[in-house]
Amino acid sequence: MSEYPRQLRELVAQGRLDEAIGLFERLSPVDAAAAIFALPFEQQRILFRQLPTKLAARLISCFPYFHAYVLLQALKVPEMAATVESMHPADRDLFLDALPEETWQNLTDTLERARSQSALPEAGVEAAPAEAPIPAPVATEAQPIIVARQIEKSYQQPEGREIQVIAPMDLSVEPNTILAVLGPSGSGKSTLLRMLAGLLPPTKGEVLWHGEPLQGSHPNVAIVFQNFALFPWLTVLDNVEAPLLARGVPRRERYRRALKVLVTVGLKGFESAYPKELSGGMKQRVGFARALAVEPEVLFMDEPFSALDVLTAENLRRELLELWSEKKISTRSIFLVTHNIEEAVLLADRVVVLGSNPATVRADFRIPLAQPRDRKSAAFLVYVDYIYKVMTQPSLELAPPIPTTAEGKPKWQMLPHTRPGSIAGLLELLMDHRGEEDMYHVAEELLLETDDLLPIIEGAVLLGFATAREGDVKITAEGRAFAEADIATRKSLFRDAVLARVELIRKMKSALDSKSDHVMPLEFFHDILDEHFTESEVLKQLETALNWGRYAEIFSYEPATDKVSLHKASDFETQNAAARE
Amino acid sequence: MKGSPRERSSRPLAWGIFPPAVSSVVTDLPIFLAAFSVFYAFLVVARYWFTPFTAQAEISLRPSALPMYAMFSVIRIAISYVIALLFSIAYGYIAAYNKRAEKLMIPLLDTLQSIPVLSFLPGVMLAMVALFPRRQLGIELGSLLLIFTGQAWNIAFSFYSSLKSIPREMHEVAEVYRWHRWQKLMQMELPFAAIGLVWNSMISVAAAWFYLIACEMFTLGKQDFRLPGLGSYLQTAANAADTGAIIWGLVAMVGVIVVLDQLVWRPVIAWAEKFKFEQIETSQVVRSPILELLRSSRILPYIGRRIVDPVKERIASRVAIKAAREPETRGRRPIARVINYLPAAATLVALAWGVVKMSGLALALHGSELRGIFVGGGATFLRVEVTLLLAALWTVPAGVWIGMNARRAAVVQPIVQVVASVPATALFPIVVLLLTRVGGGLAVGSIVLMLLGTQWYILFNVIAGAMALPTDLREVCDIFRFGQWERWRELILPGIFPYLITGCVTASGGAWNASILAEYFHLNGHIFSTTGLGALISEAADNSNYPVLLVATMLMAAIVLLINRLVWRRLYAVASTRFKLET
Repeated sequence: MSEYPRQLRELVAQGRLDEAIGLFERLSPVDAAAAIFALPFEQQRILFRQLPTKLAARLISCFPYFHAYVLLQALKVPEMAATVESMHPADRDLFLDALPEETWQNLTDTLERARSQSALPEAGVEAAPAEAPIPAPVATEAQPIIVARQIEKSYQQPEGREIQVIAPMDLSVEPNTILAVLGPSGSGKSTLLRMLAGLLPPTKGEVLWHGEPLQGSHPNVAIVFQNFALFPWLTVLDNVEAPLLARGVPRRERYRRALKVLVTVGLKGFESAYPKELSGGMKQRVGFARALAVEPEVLFMDEPFSALDVLTAENLRRELLELWSEKKISTRSIFLVTHNIEEAVLLADRVVVLGSNPATVRADFRIPLAQPRDRKSAAFLVYVDYIYKVMTQPSLELAPPIPTTAEGKPKWQMLPHTRPGSIAGLLELLMDHRGEEDMYHVAEELLLETDDLLPIIEGAVLLGFATAREGDVKITAEGRAFAEADIATRKSLFRDAVLARVELIRKMKSALDSKSDHVMPLEFFHDILDEHFTESEVLKQLETALNWGRYAEIFSYEPATDKVSLHKASDFETQNAAARE
Repeated sequence: MKGSPRERSSRPLAWGIFPPAVSSVVTDLPIFLAAFSVFYAFLVVARYWFTPFTAQAEISLRPSALPMYAMFSVIRIAISYVIALLFSIAYGYIAAYNKRAEKLMIPLLDTLQSIPVLSFLPGVMLAMVALFPRRQLGIELGSLLLIFTGQAWNIAFSFYSSLKSIPREMHEVAEVYRWHRWQKLMQMELPFAAIGLVWNSMISVAAAWFYLIACEMFTLGKQDFRLPGLGSYLQTAANAADTGAIIWGLVAMVGVIVVLDQLVWRPVIAWAEKFKFEQIETSQVVRSPILELLRSSRILPYIGRRIVDPVKERIASRVAIKAAREPETRGRRPIARVINYLPAAATLVALAWGVVKMSGLALALHGSELRGIFVGGGATFLRVEVTLLLAALWTVPAGVWIGMNARRAAVVQPIVQVVASVPATALFPIVVLLLTRVGGGLAVGSIVLMLLGTQWYILFNVIAGAMALPTDLREVCDIFRFGQWERWRELILPGIFPYLITGCVTASGGAWNASILAEYFHLNGHIFSTTGLGALISEAADNSNYPVLLVATMLMAAIVLLINRLVWRRLYAVASTRFKLET
C-alpha cells in the first residue's frame, strides 16, 4: 500500500488531478484516505475540492473526525452541505456526534442555512476560502532530522528491579515543523526530550541525527527550560555569550552575535542587567536568546511558558510564532514539550500525545490550520476537544498498538494525585452546569491547566462520582448525592466509594484489620508499591492514599513514627453518630 | 565584568567636588599603597624564611615588636589559607565527579575533620624539618601545614556539597552547549559554590587564629620550637606570667582580626552577594565601603581590561579549540581502565601498610596506658557535654532575647560578633591566671576554657532562629494570651530547635578540638593539666610519645564520628522534617 501515497504525491505535484482521482476509483476508501492523509495539507485541500461529491462523502468518513472537519472547511458551503448530505447516515451520525458541542452547533446551523437558501456562496463558515490556483508544489524534505528507533527508558530501582518509564517508541522530527509533545505530568515528556537532544542515553533503541548515531556526534541543538536555567551571576550578555564562548567564537564576533539575538528577542538595552533584576517573561527571553545564539538546527523547549503568568506567556508565544513563521530564526524545527493543550494546538504543526506509566504514544497527528490561529474558532476547538478525549480515554488510539513488554502481570491501579476537596469542588461545578460539561470548558471556568484538571477528573471517575466520555465529564447519581451532602455524610459516602473501588486503600485496610493492634509501618505499603512504580511515584501514591484514607476516616497516620493505624472513632464522634441516629 | 561598574556603584564620599584626575588619584592611592605594603611584607617574610635554621626565635615581649609579629602571623595564616583553598577545590572536585574516589574520599574527609590539629604536629614537623634541615623554611612550612590541617577540611566539604547540589538544569545547559571543564569551573561551579566557600573560609581563618598559639610554639621531644608571631608572643608572655604583655598581645590580635574583617571579609561578602542563587533581588544587601572604594577605582578596571580579560580570552579559546579537536570518548580503552585503577590500588596498599604500622605502634602500649586513655576519653566526653549544656543554658535565653526584637538585634549582634571573633586560646592565659588565683584546678577550669571557644556557635544560631520566628505565629501567641511558659513550649523552643541543633553540632566538634588546648596548658613555667583525652594528646605530642598520641587520636576521632552519626545526625533529621517552619 506504501506506493500509492508516492504515486499520488507525484500526480498532485504535476497537477494531474484527474489521474489522481482516477486512482482513487481503483482503491478501497480506506486506502485512498490513507494516501490522501499522507499528502501535505495544502495539496489535500486542493485535491479534495476536485473530488466528486459522492467520492468525497465516501472518503470523508475514513478520516479521523477532526481531520474530516478541517477538510470539509476547505469546501464552499453548498458543496460542503452536499458532501455531508451524501454521507452514509450512520457515518454521518458518528461524525457529528464526535464533534464538540459548539462546533457541532456551528456546522448544523451552516448546513441548515445552506439547505433553506439552497445557493448562497458566502454563508458564514469562516474557512470557506476562495478558489485558489494550484500553488507550486511545496518542496517537501522527506528526510527527518531526528529519527528515534524503538527508544525506551527504564530506571534501576535500588533492589535491582527495573521500572520502565518510556515504552519502546518510534518518533521522528521533521524539518519545518513545530512538534508538540503533550502528556500528563510524570509521563516522561521531559525524559523523551532529553533523549532526543542527546542529554540522556536511551536504555534501549537508538537516536539518529541525519542518519548518524547520536552518541559521539555533536548535534547542534539548544534547549529552553521551564525555569529558565540562567546563571544568576552572569549578566544577560554573558549568559547569551556563554554557549558561543564554549565554541571558541572570538570575542568581537561573540559580542556581535549575542547582541543581534538580543535585538531579535527584544532585550536590547538589558545587556548588563543580571537575571534577578528581570521579570519572568524577560528571563525567558534571555533563555530564548541563549538558545537562538547558537543557531540550533532543532530548538527543544521544555514547558517554556508554564512558569510565566497567562498574559506574558501568550505574548511570548505570539512573538515566537512570528519569529518562526517569518523565518527570522534559522532553526529548522522546534520540539515543544507542554502540558497545556491550547498551547499545543496554538503552536504546533504536529502533536504527539503520550500516555503515562510507562509512556506510550497515544496519538500522533497533524494540525493543518493556518497561522495565526484563532482560539475561538470552531476548528481550533475540535482539536482541543479531541486531545481531551485522547488524554482521558486510553482506548482511543491512533498510533499502532504498542506490544506490552510487561510479563503478563496485571497492571496495578494508579491513583490520580488529587485531594477529596478538589473532587468535591469539581462535582459542585458540574451540578451548577446541569451535570455535564465539556472538559475544556471546565478547565476554562476553573482556570486550571490540563495537568491540574485531569487528575481531579480521574479521581472523580475512579470513585464513581462522575463519568468521562468523549471529552465530556458527567456527574453520576452517587456524585450528585455526594455533592449535595453535609460534611459527615460526604465522608461516609467517600468512605464507601473508596473501599469499593480503590485497590490500594482496600489492601491497606485489610492489612490493618488483620493485625491485632491495627498498626503497621508505612514502610510495608511502600514495599508493596515498589514493584510497580518508580520511587517518586511510590511516594506520591502513598501520599494520595493517606490523604484519601484519612479524609474517609479509614485510618490515621502518625508522621513521627511513620505508622498507619486503623481509625478509631473518638468518643465525640460516636456520640455524634448516636445523636444522628 | 562587562559594562563599567563605576557608573553603577554609589560613591562612598562626595568626591564630585574634586576634578576627575584628582579624585582618581585619591581613590587609587590607597590601593597602590596596599599593594606595595603587601608586596613588602612578603619580601620580608621570604627573606626570613631563607635564613639559617634556628629552632627558637627570640621572642621579645616589648609592645613595639607586635606589628612585626602580627605581620608574620597574618602572612602565615594567609599562605596556609590559600593552600587550603586550592587543596579543597581540587579535593571537592574529584570527590564530586569521580564516583569511585568519592566512596573513599568523603569518609576520609569526615575522619580527618574529627582529628585534632595537634595530632598532626609531630608527623608534619619532622617531615618538613627533614626536608629543609638547614633553612628556617622547613619549620615554617611545618607550621603552615599545621595551620592548613585546621583550615582545609570544612572548605573541602563545603565545595564538595555545593558541587553536588548544582541544579540538574544547569548541568544540562553546560552539556547541551558543550561547555568544557574550564568554562564549567569558572562560570558554573566556582560561582555556585562561592557563598559557601566564603563563609567556610571565614570559619577556617577563625580556626587558624584559634590554633595559632599551638602552631607557632611547641615542643617536640627534647626540642622546643618557636616561630616569630603573635601566637608565640602570647604564649611566651603567659609563660613569663607577664600580664601586661598578655594584654598587649590580646589587643594586637583583636585589632588585627577586626581590621581583617573590615578590609577583607566584609568586601568579600558584599562582592559574593552576586553569587546568591536566587532569582529575585533581595532588599537587604551587605554593604562595604572598601568594596565601593575598589569599585570606584580606575586602575583596577584598567588592569582588568588590559591584562585579565585578554588572558581569560586566550585560555578560553585555547581550551575551546582543544575540546573541539578531541572526539568524545565515552568508552575507555582497557589500558586506560587499568591505569584508572592504579591510584585506587596504590591507596589501598598504602592504607594496609599504615594499618599494619599503626597496630604495631598501638600494641606497644601498656595496659595501664590504655586504661588511662579510655578514662581520659570518658572524662573529656563528660566535660564536652557539660560545656554544651552550660552553653545552651545561657545562650538560649540570651539569644532569644536578642533575636526576638529586631532593633535590639541590630545593636547587639555586631558587638557579639566582635567579642566572638577573639580566639578563645588568646584568652586562655588570662583565664588560667585568674583561676589559679581563685584556686580552681584545670579540671573545672578547662570547662570554662572550652565554653569560651564554643558558646558562640550556639548563640549565633539561636539568634538567627529567634529572628526567623514568623510574626504571624508570634501574633497568635499574643492573641490567645499565652503565658511565658506556654510561649516557650509551643512556639520558641520548637521554632529554634533546628538552629539550636545546627549550633550544637558545630559546638560539639569545636569543644572536642578545644579540649586539647584546654586540658593542658603551659603557664608561668608550669604545666597545668587534668585528666582527659585532650591532655593526653597534648602531652604525647610534647613528649613524642607516638603510641599514646596515635591511640588517643583514634579514640577521639572515633568518639566524634560516633556521636555525629548516632546523635547529631538523627536530631538533625528530626529538626529538618518535624520542626521545619514551612511557609
